[in-house]
Amino acid sequence: MPGGWWLRKRHYFLYVVREFTALPMALWLLWLLYDIKSAGSAGFQPQRSIGFVVFSAVCLVFAMYHSYTFLKLAGVIIHLKVMDRTVPPRVIVLTMFGLWALASIVIGAVLIGFAR
Amino acid sequence: MSDVHLPAMRGGRPEGPGGAEHSHKPAYAHLFWWFMFANGGGLAALALPVHILVQGILGPLGIVLVVDQHRDTWISILGNPIVKLYLLVLIALSFFHFAHRLRYLLVDFGVPAAKSTPAQVIFYGGAVVVTLVTVWILLTTVPISLG
Repeated sequence: MPGGWWLRKRHYFLYVVREFTALPMALWLLWLLYDIKSAGSAGFQPQRSIGFVVFSAVCLVFAMYHSYTFLKLAGVIIHLKVMDRTVPPRVIVLTMFGLWALASIVIGAVLIGFAR
Repeated sequence: MSDVHLPAMRGGRPEGPGGAEHSHKPAYAHLFWWFMFANGGGLAALALPVHILVQGILGPLGIVLVVDQHRDTWISILGNPIVKLYLLVLIALSFFHFAHRLRYLLVDFGVPAAKSTPAQVIFYGGAVVVTLVTVWILLTTVPISLG
């Protein structure tokens, strides 16, 4: 395959972006792991630099794109039957997006609600 | 190039010297990696954006109070065994997903070596290493507290 195949069609480009989302998300999770490890030391300093905020904002864009593309695929991957009737893919996708909203509210509430 | 990597029912294994018959046995190893890939992707999709938004942007900017902006609240929540288990599953499964995606991305970019066994050992082994490091950090950084 020629080197620039992924730049020739918008669909190819978006496919590569989707696969690439793994890298920034992995980097952010490694930071989270470092943050957890830092909590054990007496000199713990919470991350407040603008550089970190910019890094997180970039990672957030990729994470949102991962969520959108992955949850949208649920309608293709998941096949459910209820009372001998196949659940329409659209309902599955909507349920997954609903779960995303619910999970975000619960996790956000824990992260903010337990802060003092 | 495929958009979805579906689990294979890898048959075609020659049975006997003639090799004419083919069995269709489930590829259990492939199913295992598919399970880790799919669940890691799903969990990252559902949980990761809000972590990044709250812990990576809103907290550091001081827009809201967040548990990891103060050591006492961060330690308090990290001591909870349910939180430890949640963080382990989130980080470990996500890394198995990332390993699979990045390996196939290299294949799509024309790096055939990414299909090889050493490449699989490096990528999935990397996910195993991150999992072990996560277990170690979660167990040694803050003691488990049920209170």
